[in-house]
Amino acid sequence: MPLQALRTVAKSQNGVGAFILQCKRIDFHYCDWAGSSRGMNAFLKHQLPAFAAQNPSIEISVSPRPGRHPVIKGQYINGREKAICVRNMEATEVTKKAELLKTASGEKLRRDRKPVKSFNESVRGVWSPFHGRQYKI
Amino acid sequence: MKRVRLDRWASQLQPPRNPRLQVQRCALSHETTTLPRRRDLHQQRQYITQTQWQCQRQPVSSKRKASTAAVLQEAGNEGESEASKLPSRNKKSTTPLYAPSHHTAARSAKLAALHARLSLPPKLPLQTLARCLVDPSADPRSDYNNAPFAILGQDLLGYHTTEHLTCHYPRLPMSVLFAAQYAFVGEATLASVRAEWGVEVVAAPGVEVDAGLLQLKRQVPGNSMVEGTGRRVKDMPGVRALGARLGGGRRNAEWNYRRGVSSRVVFDDEFGDLIGGEPYAGAQLSTSASEDGGAVDVEGGDGTTSSLPTLPQSPDDTEATTVSDASASFVRAVAGALYLHVGAAATRTFHRDHILSRQLDLHTMFNFTHPTRDLSRLCAREGFEPPVARLISETGRLSRTPVFVVGVYSGDNLLGEAAGASLNEGRVRAAAAALRSWYLYSPSKGEIVVPSEVEGMAAAGKGKEWKPQVIDVGEIVT
Repeated sequence: MPLQALRTVAKSQNGVGAFILQCKRIDFHYCDWAGSSRGMNAFLKHQLPAFAAQNPSIEISVSPRPGRHPVIKGQYINGREKAICVRNMEATEVTKKAELLKTASGEKLRRDRKPVKSFNESVRGVWSPFHGRQYKI
Repeated sequence: MKRVRLDRWASQLQPPRNPRLQVQRCALSHETTTLPRRRDLHQQRQYITQTQWQCQRQPVSSKRKASTAAVLQEAGNEGESEASKLPSRNKKSTTPLYAPSHHTAARSAKLAALHARLSLPPKLPLQTLARCLVDPSADPRSDYNNAPFAILGQDLLGYHTTEHLTCHYPRLPMSVLFAAQYAFVGEATLASVRAEWGVEVVAAPGVEVDAGLLQLKRQVPGNSMVEGTGRRVKDMPGVRALGARLGGGRRNAEWNYRRGVSSRVVFDDEFGDLIGGEPYAGAQLSTSASEDGGAVDVEGGDGTTSSLPTLPQSPDDTEATTVSDASASFVRAVAGALYLHVGAAATRTFHRDHILSRQLDLHTMFNFTHPTRDLSRLCAREGFEPPVARLISETGRLSRTPVFVVGVYSGDNLLGEAAGASLNEGRVRAAAAALRSWYLYSPSKGEIVVPSEVEGMAAAGKGKEWKPQVIDVGEIVT
């Protein structure tokens, strides 16, 4: 055969076409008895319906965890889970933590040293000693 | 012979809509089901959380709800009786269910979240999305599984991908076209699309699973042990059904005749692969009467009897499938369901957003065997001067790591240039670069008009005019 092809899989670019929110599920755990859960209980009563309405793509589950601190757990599409303990927080602070989980990607927190991440090679090309002005000794 | 009416082709797959029908009928329920709007879904979910809080305010003697699922179930029942938006299912109907019913599907949070995550239009009901998640191995009845949608969706996705590739890269050779088609809409890619959508897979199908999970009968992996023995599944003959008949319909298949590219275009599927015995996983293959013990005898018109194979009626009889097979069927089924409920424009948008947005490096998919020979045949065919390789620059000739930059010229025109560790390697790589630049020719963006943009009644008012697209003379014959 004169020409054969090498099979591969096209790589996804989330956001170039459709954007898929990476947070797919958030579990809210509260406690009726513990004082540290007062803010969480207030959040569940007053702010959660609006949060759920604004984020229809997140599956929300509320369940009691008696005798423990309140915690929010987010599950992500890459299979990882992030948990934030919201003990002794006000309802507004709990909302901020929920937003934080919603906007996270599920990846581990790491520092990016490079300014640009891309599949495509550089537009202007990498310098080569064989092209351009030749250095003559 | 009648003239082919392209403007009516694409839009004639759906029957004309009856505007007097206010509600939609689905295959499953015997009564009508309204389309649940997203607002209603939110109200239902909010109602459920509110009733949960009302339960909490009851006296201490009431039983504390241990799990949310129990609360949701009870609240759902209360909501049903009070709101009476969804009619109760007739308990006397005898059709057995192997997947969650439509009423359960409408209450599933996972399913509603999936619908919103993909930004699917509200015209696509939750019940259809739930049906798209049921693989034929979980429920073999074609009214209840995603097989019909998957067949339609596969054709649609393949059509849109092919027209994109052939209009943007008219000189792409057939083998690379097959590979590019697989890279965009092949089974492996669609399986990773399913994972990127956040759709989880059940351990085993049943009525009690969440309607938002992909339901299939999972194939036992070959490395696992067969129950009761010490041997592995792949070492036991006959445990797994044998695969496809080789040859795929070719007349000289039994002599292992070479499957060339032209014969793949005629006999094989859209990726150039042999069409296996099954159009979809779990489909019943026609076998000879002597092999198939469970055949049904059918009387023909002239009194002759022929035997038909019995179709599986329950998941106990179906063949197990792999997760990647079922994932690909699910994604195809979503495309097919979108076409049926919403229309051709929505399918094109779906394809553009989820398939074409993916990145594919076509220049890495070429595997040349004799690029110098192919390039000289190409120049002879096109009337160019014969290609000549010239050394542009070099360094380190006598060292351990020389670099030779070789350019292939046709007269004064540089066709391709590459660097190599030896003179020969540089020449061969340069010829390959020249061929790649020929094959990956793409017309300017203003000249490219894809057929589905201009055909059909949906595209009538858009203002896009058809321009004849570049059609290449053919591949290089060596």
